Amino acid sequence: MRCRRAQQMMTTAVDGELEPRRRRALDAHVAACESCRRELAATERMLSVLEALPMEAVVAEGLEQATLRRVRLAAAEEEERARAKWWRAWLPVPAVALATAAVAVLAFGVLRYSTGVSGPSGVSQSPGSHQDRVARAPAAASTPSPTARAEAPKAVDRPNEPPSELTAAPDKFMNLHILRNLEKLEHFEAIQTTTLDDEPATPGGDAQPSNG
Amino acid sequence: MKRIAAIVLFGLSVVVPAAAQWGRPWQELSPEEQQRAWENYQRYQQMPEQRQRMIERRYHQFQSLPPQEQQRLRQNYETYRGLDPGQRRQFVEKYHRWKGRK
Repeated sequence: MRCRRAQQMMTTAVDGELEPRRRRALDAHVAACESCRRELAATERMLSVLEALPMEAVVAEGLEQATLRRVRLAAAEEEERARAKWWRAWLPVPAVALATAAVAVLAFGVLRYSTGVSGPSGVSQSPGSHQDRVARAPAAASTPSPTARAEAPKAVDRPNEPPSELTAAPDKFMNLHILRNLEKLEHFEAIQTTTLDDEPATPGGDAQPSNG
Repeated sequence: MKRIAAIVLFGLSVVVPAAAQWGRPWQELSPEEQQRAWENYQRYQQMPEQRQRMIERRYHQFQSLPPQEQQRLRQNYETYRGLDPGQRRQFVEKYHRWKGRK
């Protein structure tokens, strides 16, 4: 097996969806190829981090409202200054721009560090609004990823007219994570009682409850 | 009689919320649910074709399951989601091991 082929299989392998025969081939390749071994370990780490991330980043409502209010104020002041004499108007513009940039940086920082909070946000969710875009930025959007499967979708606003495939079966997409892990979930109890090499085996067989 | 009614009510309380998650038309989803579905739709579009076919197959498989079984899978998913990264890694290792023994 070549490295490129091995790396194509890695995400599927980490999800446990690779056929046993291919998994063995991949294991054999990885055992002999240090580069792919590192790549596989990185893929495992990355996917476990991505799986643990919440689906939505939540911004505190108070902060968001305050930020928007300040931006509106700054915009109003700027408009007022534009009406003033031209020779006086240019002076405060850098200050307004700096204040707006500072507010934007602050909001961005809060958004980045609030990914530990899960659940729906308390802000209004009108489609396509600024609030919608800010509060719903995918938590993993800035996480680099070598695989297409693990990439968070680009921050594209939901269209007013959703694709027919989506409206035909919205539950398929709402429950995509369940469908992706369906085999694991079907045999969840049996998998949890499977022992690994580093766990003590019971004398009567290989099935032993674990803490996992 | 009261016992039967209690059992029926309990069964409904378990099954109805699970069933309500599936089969709802797009218009009945909340804005949050529509957004989640839209984001997952984009993820789906980025998947290789083979993976999309697998999801499609599993979707039909899931729909054909009895509501109690769907609820069990949903609960298992919540448990799986609640695992910390170390526990999840161990679970995935066990899954590989389990699958290899099948």
